[in-house]
Amino acid sequence: MPLDYADLFETAPCGYVLTDKEGRITRANATFAKWVGWAPHELQGRRFADLLPIAVRIFYESHVAPMLHVQGSVSEIALDVLHAEGHKLPMLINGAAVRDDHGQVASLRFAVFTATQRRNYEQTLLHSRNEAQASVLSERAESELREQFIAVLGHDLRNPLAAIAGGARMLLKEQLSERGSMILRLIDGSVVRAGGLIDNVLDFARGRLGGGITLTRNDQEPLEPVLRQVIGELRAISPDHWIDAKFAIDALVDCDHVRMGQLLSNLLGNALTHGAKDQSVRVRAETTDGSFIIAVANGGEPIPSAALERLFQPFFRGGSHDRQEGLGLGLHIASEIARAHGGKLTVSSDPVETCFTFTMPMGGLPRNSRGRQHSR
Amino acid sequence: MMLSGQTGKSEGTGAILRLNARTAGSGEQAIMFAHGFGCDQNMWRYVSPAFEDRFRTVLFDYVGSGGADIDAYVIEKYATLDGYAQDVVDLARALEIKDGIFVGHSVSAMIGLIAARQAPELFSKLVLVAPSPCYIDEADYVGGFNRAQILELLDFLDSNHMGWSQAMAPMIMANPDRPELGEELAGSFCRSDPEIAKRFARTTFLSDNRGDLGAIEAQVLILQCREDLIAPLAVGDYVHAAIPGSELVVMKATGHCPNLSAPEETIAAITAFV
Repeated sequence: MPLDYADLFETAPCGYVLTDKEGRITRANATFAKWVGWAPHELQGRRFADLLPIAVRIFYESHVAPMLHVQGSVSEIALDVLHAEGHKLPMLINGAAVRDDHGQVASLRFAVFTATQRRNYEQTLLHSRNEAQASVLSERAESELREQFIAVLGHDLRNPLAAIAGGARMLLKEQLSERGSMILRLIDGSVVRAGGLIDNVLDFARGRLGGGITLTRNDQEPLEPVLRQVIGELRAISPDHWIDAKFAIDALVDCDHVRMGQLLSNLLGNALTHGAKDQSVRVRAETTDGSFIIAVANGGEPIPSAALERLFQPFFRGGSHDRQEGLGLGLHIASEIARAHGGKLTVSSDPVETCFTFTMPMGGLPRNSRGRQHSR
Repeated sequence: MMLSGQTGKSEGTGAILRLNARTAGSGEQAIMFAHGFGCDQNMWRYVSPAFEDRFRTVLFDYVGSGGADIDAYVIEKYATLDGYAQDVVDLARALEIKDGIFVGHSVSAMIGLIAARQAPELFSKLVLVAPSPCYIDEADYVGGFNRAQILELLDFLDSNHMGWSQAMAPMIMANPDRPELGEELAGSFCRSDPEIAKRFARTTFLSDNRGDLGAIEAQVLILQCREDLIAPLAVGDYVHAAIPGSELVVMKATGHCPNLSAPEETIAAITAFV
């Protein structure tokens, strides 16, 4: 049976619109005419762009028409076409330019497809995406506010703390009873602990606010005195808990001394809080095989393996203990300090001991060899 | 066409690279063609070659269009036409243009006017193709659109985001219909980041630059098309009346892009003027 091309054109399951080179409709098929609510002859002579809502016309003139002229075709253009009664019909359009022998555009052809369901689906997707974006943005803003609050609070706490420390120092010069001296030592220890907490909180907030941990590296001065001072401070806070420290630092370590002190303070504070009170806490700081290592070990209950993985996450608290947990920032900040130095902080825990080990590659110059030192 | 190898200051060379500028032709005087909202320098591909025998032709893409450096897009800078005009000035200076000719299509007509006021030494002749200083009707002024319609356009670009980016996708493929266009054009023509296109539309269609009309040193030619939906006849008349001494040519071409639909007539009109 011969193919009835006229019928195929008129009643095809898509709209056909033929125009002259300027976009004036020369012929539209019955399918398209029916969709847009005009009689086919009523469409003749109208510009195709006139069937579009004004906004879409601008898009057509500034994008679609140029593409037809330069590229010769467009495909899958999503736009609305106006129905004779004024409402918009979502449609998808393919277009092609027909050229004459000189390569000039002679006429245009459009195939038009209805796209109501697809458009609805797209709108739904778009809507959900916008909602998701909005909620992410507002959450981000909220958490930023929270972290700014933490940063400001931490910073502001430093002043009264400094006043307390100053007051305690002045009291030391006074004639005090034994009980008064003991209270003063406790106050001093608390000031050191509170100072450490504030440092951690500030570092955490800064990290979240995008500042990260900044380093002021020092490869000119020995690190050991800094670490010894930290150990001394913590001994003063926990006089009953034995701290065994071994130093074997044979080279200058290119690192941030204050940060390194903070890292040790955090690890040591953790060990003193969680370690068994009847066993010593063992600190080892050494340079070996191109690495610098600080290891802090304590005895007592091992850390459950499930908790090990999350130990360095902020606000993680072991759970079994309740009181002395703190904010759960100490280990997180320590691991961030390790990372900032290009090193890492690892942990191993078994019934014999729990050991945190900081390792960083050495960039520093070798120092005059010094014998191993042992302290207490 | 080649990338200009000017040895200007680094900032100048920056403008050449940033705006994907291409120079061709031989001649003392430069003629710079600037594209409008929607496409890129290829809008002039049928027109600019006709001037290469007498002029040094300059084509470029605005930041956010075609092959311009997308990283140079700064929201605040391009929120007004002044930011685009600054780029035209930077580019013209980098190419050491003096007393050149500026041909601006659509929104570029106004950009050219602003640039020529900022740096009068750059261009002695301006050709404004389908210009409109303000697309929105206001009191006695007829821009062709009301505010709601322009907002609908912005909304359309927004809601059509997905359909639009899909519509742009086929351009990445080679163009079997016109293989002579080559990969490069097939990849970029009329393709722009939807977010930036939306902002450019906002800057273009919400701007009121009627204040930038008025007397100007450069000679001005206005090319007005018939049946231009975007810049109707009344707007061409308004621009003509507002720039003393300007020349208005109403072309036989219809639509908004005579540089594509009627290149011969466009070339003839510009040639007669320059």
